[in-house]
Amino acid sequence: MISVSGVTKTYGSVRAVDDLSFEVESGKVTGFLGPNGAGKSTTMRVVMGLDRATSGTATVNGSSYAAFPAPLREVGALLDAGAMHPGRTGRSHLRIAAHSNGIRSERVDEVIEQVGLGKASGRRIKGYSLGMRQRLGIAAALLGDPPVLLFDEPVNGLDLDGVRWIRGLLRGFAEEGRTVLVSSHLMSEMQLIADRVVVIGRGRLIADTDMPGLLRGLGGQRVRVRTPQADELESVLGPDTAVERPGPDELEVSGVPASEVGDLAHAHGIRLHHLAEVEQSLEDAYLSLTEGSVEHHGHVPTALAQGAVR
Amino acid sequence: MSTATVLARASRAEWGRIWSVRSSWVFTGLISCAVVGLGLLVGIDVANNPESVPVGASAWEGARFTAMFALFGTVAMAVVTSTADHGTGAIVPTLQWTPRRGVLLAARALVIALTVTTLGVVLVVAASVVVRTLAPPRVGLPFGDGLRSMGDIVVVLGCGALLGIGLGLATRSTAAALVLAIALLLVLPLLVAQLPFDWAATTSARLPGSGALFLIFGEGPLDDMTVTSARLTLAAWALGALTAGGWRLLRSDAGH
Repeated sequence: MISVSGVTKTYGSVRAVDDLSFEVESGKVTGFLGPNGAGKSTTMRVVMGLDRATSGTATVNGSSYAAFPAPLREVGALLDAGAMHPGRTGRSHLRIAAHSNGIRSERVDEVIEQVGLGKASGRRIKGYSLGMRQRLGIAAALLGDPPVLLFDEPVNGLDLDGVRWIRGLLRGFAEEGRTVLVSSHLMSEMQLIADRVVVIGRGRLIADTDMPGLLRGLGGQRVRVRTPQADELESVLGPDTAVERPGPDELEVSGVPASEVGDLAHAHGIRLHHLAEVEQSLEDAYLSLTEGSVEHHGHVPTALAQGAVR
Repeated sequence: MSTATVLARASRAEWGRIWSVRSSWVFTGLISCAVVGLGLLVGIDVANNPESVPVGASAWEGARFTAMFALFGTVAMAVVTSTADHGTGAIVPTLQWTPRRGVLLAARALVIALTVTTLGVVLVVAASVVVRTLAPPRVGLPFGDGLRSMGDIVVVLGCGALLGIGLGLATRSTAAALVLAIALLLVLPLLVAQLPFDWAATTSARLPGSGALFLIFGEGPLDDMTVTSARLTLAAWALGALTAGGWRLLRSDAGH
């Protein structure tokens, strides 16, 4: 289990993390979400002992990371795939990691094969693509076969095969009972692999819940209906429902399940052409949650926005 | 698990870090060429002017000044090796693998200093053997003289290496640490000694370059400099630099 308790981290006058507390349970993949500059990477660096918390504590299985004599056997982390000596070969990088933690050399060959870097492991890292560096970073994280894993944006630079591989890997680890914390900007990816999500913005906790709870809790249950008698259906829906009209023959109803809408339409002899519950995406939920916490906004050039530039 | 075990593992990793990058091999080659090459030049000079060599002369003395070149080469190697992690961002995985920063500091200082000092001493010995080989038969290579010479050279190279490592860890920049090291070992001792003030010679004698110069050549900016004062000066600078570098490694965030 990873426990972050009241962690605040300031760099000069910038408060990167602000009194943040959450726990990451074992046996689950926990997604760590937030806009750019929200403090995700800083929080992970504090957990890993790379940056010192201004106040608060971060522990892994009850101990601070620095207390582990052989940390690779306790926690595997991929924090910054670019942070490697470019003049070293991938194999040398992993051998140094193994030596520093008393891990047998054969394990280096095993993880090289596991991440699919076999042929490239003898090449210097400066010749690696971002995806290959990610794989090498993941290999280092897996070297000690640790019960706790922290991955910061692990799918960056990976091709589709790599993305599917890491998805299976993380799910597999969680099913084995390990603790997995993953940050990513790819909401669709998170929706596929995360059991829980911790959302932060401007260094503060915004949400800490399971995935269905997050999707249910924002925007509630919505039903999409298409009918040639849209006005009639709207008039028979009760006062507890909220109705939107995306089109002349369409309704989006909030506050009642699809079965109730269907029964009501049947009772009043209203013909339906389409009836379905609308599942809110994690992306929608995330955008709703982090609205107001985004520090860095991009702007579409006016001409481009107007479609004048081809 | 004992701290000694963690230190042994961290030291083994440091050894791997040094020899898994090309720059260490390039440095080793360059320093070897410079030091042994100078020994060769001295040997040729002695062979061509045998009358200039007094009876009972020692090849150790002839090759002694190659230690100055060994010093600059090994200090540069120590600086480059100790700053490599910070320059490339590799300090992040290094601290992930060895989060006990005191142990990392000890392993880094120990392994780099021992490696470059051993390299320097071996090369100066090799240069002495080259001088002995080329010089007339009356130039000897007495074991006792060798031990005395190498004792001083070990102090010079060892303290120089620790100074380089300390400056490297304190500045986290190869360029800044190299400039500081050259200033302290070469430029400032010469420059300060030339200043027309009473305190200039005393100040110059307190710089590490003057200590190294005295231990290698027996000359310094003050007439009353002794081997002990020179050794203390070098050791104090090495310890001071290492303390500053260690403080930064122990107290600062990685990469900041």
